[in-house]
Amino acid sequence: MKIIKETNINFMGQRKLTTIFSAFVILVGVISLVVNGGPKLSIDFKGGTLVSVQYTEAMDVTAVRAAMGNVNIDGQSFDFSREEIKHFGGENSVSVRVPHMDDSPENFAQKIVDHLYDSFPGQVPESKTDFLLGKGSVGPKIGAELSGKAVMAIISALGLILLYISIRFEFRFALGAIAALAHDVLITLGIFSLLGFEISLPIIAAFLTIVGYSLNDTIVIFDRIRENVKINKREAYHTVVNQSINNSLSRTIITSLTTFFVVLVLWLFGGEVIHNFAFAMIIGVIVGTYSSIYVASPIVVHLHETASK
Amino acid sequence: MIGLTLTWAIWAIWPTIQYQGLSNAEKETLREEGKLDPIESRTIKQGLDLKGGMYIVLEVDLPTLLENIAENKDSKFSRSIASVRERLSQTPEADFFTLFTNLTNQNKLKLSRYYYDHGSSNSDILSSLGEESEDAINRVLEILVNRVDQFGVAEPTIQKQGSQRIIVELAGIQDSERARALLESTALLEFFIVKDISTTNQLMVRIDQVLKGDESIAAITKVKAAEEKIKSQKSDDETVSVSELFGESENSDTQSDSAAVDENIFAERPFSAMLRNLGQTIGVPEKNIYAVKKILERPEVQEKLAAVGGMFLFSHKAEEYPLVDGTLETMYSLFLVEDEAELTGGVVEEAKANLGPQGSTSAGQPIVNLSMNSDGARKWSIVTGSNVGRQVALVLDKKVHMAPNIKEKISGGGTLIEGFADINEAKDIAIVLRAGALPAPVDIIEERVIGPSLGADSVRSGTLSVIIGLGLVLIFMLIYYRFSGLIADFALIWNIVLVLAVLASLQATLTLPGIAGLILTVGMSIDANVIIFERIREELRKGKTPKAAVKSGYDRALTTIIDANVTTVIAALVLWQFGTGPIKGFATVLFWGILVSMFTAIFVTRTIFNSFTSRKGFTKLSI
Repeated sequence: MKIIKETNINFMGQRKLTTIFSAFVILVGVISLVVNGGPKLSIDFKGGTLVSVQYTEAMDVTAVRAAMGNVNIDGQSFDFSREEIKHFGGENSVSVRVPHMDDSPENFAQKIVDHLYDSFPGQVPESKTDFLLGKGSVGPKIGAELSGKAVMAIISALGLILLYISIRFEFRFALGAIAALAHDVLITLGIFSLLGFEISLPIIAAFLTIVGYSLNDTIVIFDRIRENVKINKREAYHTVVNQSINNSLSRTIITSLTTFFVVLVLWLFGGEVIHNFAFAMIIGVIVGTYSSIYVASPIVVHLHETASK
Repeated sequence: MIGLTLTWAIWAIWPTIQYQGLSNAEKETLREEGKLDPIESRTIKQGLDLKGGMYIVLEVDLPTLLENIAENKDSKFSRSIASVRERLSQTPEADFFTLFTNLTNQNKLKLSRYYYDHGSSNSDILSSLGEESEDAINRVLEILVNRVDQFGVAEPTIQKQGSQRIIVELAGIQDSERARALLESTALLEFFIVKDISTTNQLMVRIDQVLKGDESIAAITKVKAAEEKIKSQKSDDETVSVSELFGESENSDTQSDSAAVDENIFAERPFSAMLRNLGQTIGVPEKNIYAVKKILERPEVQEKLAAVGGMFLFSHKAEEYPLVDGTLETMYSLFLVEDEAELTGGVVEEAKANLGPQGSTSAGQPIVNLSMNSDGARKWSIVTGSNVGRQVALVLDKKVHMAPNIKEKISGGGTLIEGFADINEAKDIAIVLRAGALPAPVDIIEERVIGPSLGADSVRSGTLSVIIGLGLVLIFMLIYYRFSGLIADFALIWNIVLVLAVLASLQATLTLPGIAGLILTVGMSIDANVIIFERIREELRKGKTPKAAVKSGYDRALTTIIDANVTTVIAALVLWQFGTGPIKGFATVLFWGILVSMFTAIFVTRTIFNSFTSRKGFTKLSI
């Protein structure tokens, strides 16, 4: 069976159009990021408390919100009705997120769980163990450290990859690949910001996986360019690049499709905890495939053409 | 070679399959026979997110540690420690010792004054203090291991991180609250003599005078009062005057409890107004506890306390006391005690949880029996002997468990503590008392608890998505590449078995992101086959024989596959280096997944292809 016949699409001819398209999508994302004051960070990075609980019947978020309006902990009253309160997975489950407070009471997370339990006596399971789905409290110190580590991880990964590609190919290929990666991560970050999804530790892992995947894709094409340049020394550079993309197009599409299906399954059936991770991957697979053809390769062509002029 | 790896893989993965197939009852029987451990040690462990459990990061409170070991503490020293604390809370990522060193230089603090047995010059003392804190953390670690062992948790992980932190992972734990209390407790047992009523009385008067007319106090209490009005209809904040609190008149109780909100008394005696008379002690209604604590923290109040050489301690738990109108009010007790402990828990030799014996005041109540070593017993008999008729407070981690009157001198060093919520709490306290007090208090700076039901959900949905994802890819490959697709499918299944085998033999922990990594590996490993097959198709189109096409297809695809995978390996390694827990699990699976997929895609499938194409009469390749 064959989906892709031998093709001869002038990919490089479309590059002006795609550059405008990419720039537009990135711009929208960046504007959203600026308007929202940067990406929405989870408690992993910002510190704070997150609890998720499961009731025995469907809960109305407004009712929970009202119940969180007056939380009394050790003689201290709090109003958490304006904090992030939402369903977690199903209708029965609710999660509450409270930012870090300098003066938070001892065992704060559990006190919130207790309050959620006591507020709806008819709708809770008998044992609190069944009620609690999960809770987490992260101090600002840990959060600050993790943010630092995450930035370090992304920078060092990019640095090492740049080095590897420069050694195996040429420096301009490395630049093209890195630009494609930046493009992918920026777009994913922008989409997360537009949809109001938060960046947690697993999402950083997803970003780095997107980086890995997108590179994988880019390098398969670069590899073909390297090979074809040796064979067709007389052809114009952009023609060779076009030819290489066409050569590897069927592979690109098949691999992207299989990977896409796999992450789609993960998104649909993987459960609540992994939902956003899978979502980031879905965007990553689409954007990663696009960027190898329309970002990485055009940059290599451009750099080559300006260098030979 | 191929047969060998397959045999190894099955051998490595077998215990995991065996373990999964066992029911809980069967596991228990095997455990008793001692046969479970060898199986368990060879299985893939499930991470906290799959099994449920808790993850806690504890940080040793270094400022308090240094405070504890300092001698001749004066106000200059206390101020310095306080300002280090303040800076630490402002810049959480700063290192304590760097800050402390800077500050001693700035304030020209002569450390030899406070730590004369640690050396003479500031730098000597600082490095010695550094060692001491390192040592303290090791002791904390040891004590925590001891406590968790006695508590009884399967496969606890307790390890040091950096120079100041301890990470505790307790998988599959049901009662996270008990475990938390057990870990966090400093287990500092102290015996204090309670100050007599007239001293307490005078101090209250002074505190009231100091606070009188302070706007901010009025603010705290007014907020409280307003809240109370919304919550309950009954008129609240019945105020008590000082004389009523500790007055001679027997009927002071009746008066105080029936008193309504009186702005005048409130203004005159803001502190007493928040308290209740409970006969021998002071009662603090639960709803006032925050305000009272805030007031006690004030420097002017602390000054008054220092003047009489005392400090206030709250009772360990709140109890219900009947009011005159018949309703119950939940209150904590407040004790004014001497600021130096008479005796500390270091002298405890044995601690056992029990129910109070029949006929005693604590009959049927959970108690902890203590026995002291000879040194402790001697001191205890002196303390009790010279304070007959006074109250002694048994204080654990700055909370008063009981404050009985000393009836006679106690020799022999035996005593008991009461005032526990239930027998489990008494048991846990006995554990922490046996394991000893921590050299410094610890703070929980990160805590994550995953309930067992969420874990079970994750396992179910994770397994489901692996099966569906794998199924889709297998079917696709079979349709698209026909016979060659079958070979690729075979390689893919093998790939997964091998990755699991590697994980099992590394005793790696499978986390939810790890499952995602496994699914991703499926997607990525099929890529190697796609690259090869597309290349072979190309070569066939050029008119090569199947054998030649397979050969050049593999040869050409090899560099592409290696280059493409190495970059992903780089990303995986960085993640592994940077990540903790779940992320590390993801990186491990991704790393091994890529390595194994390169092996299966390049080596295994090629061998199979070769065995077909080398046959005589093989002319057409189904691809």
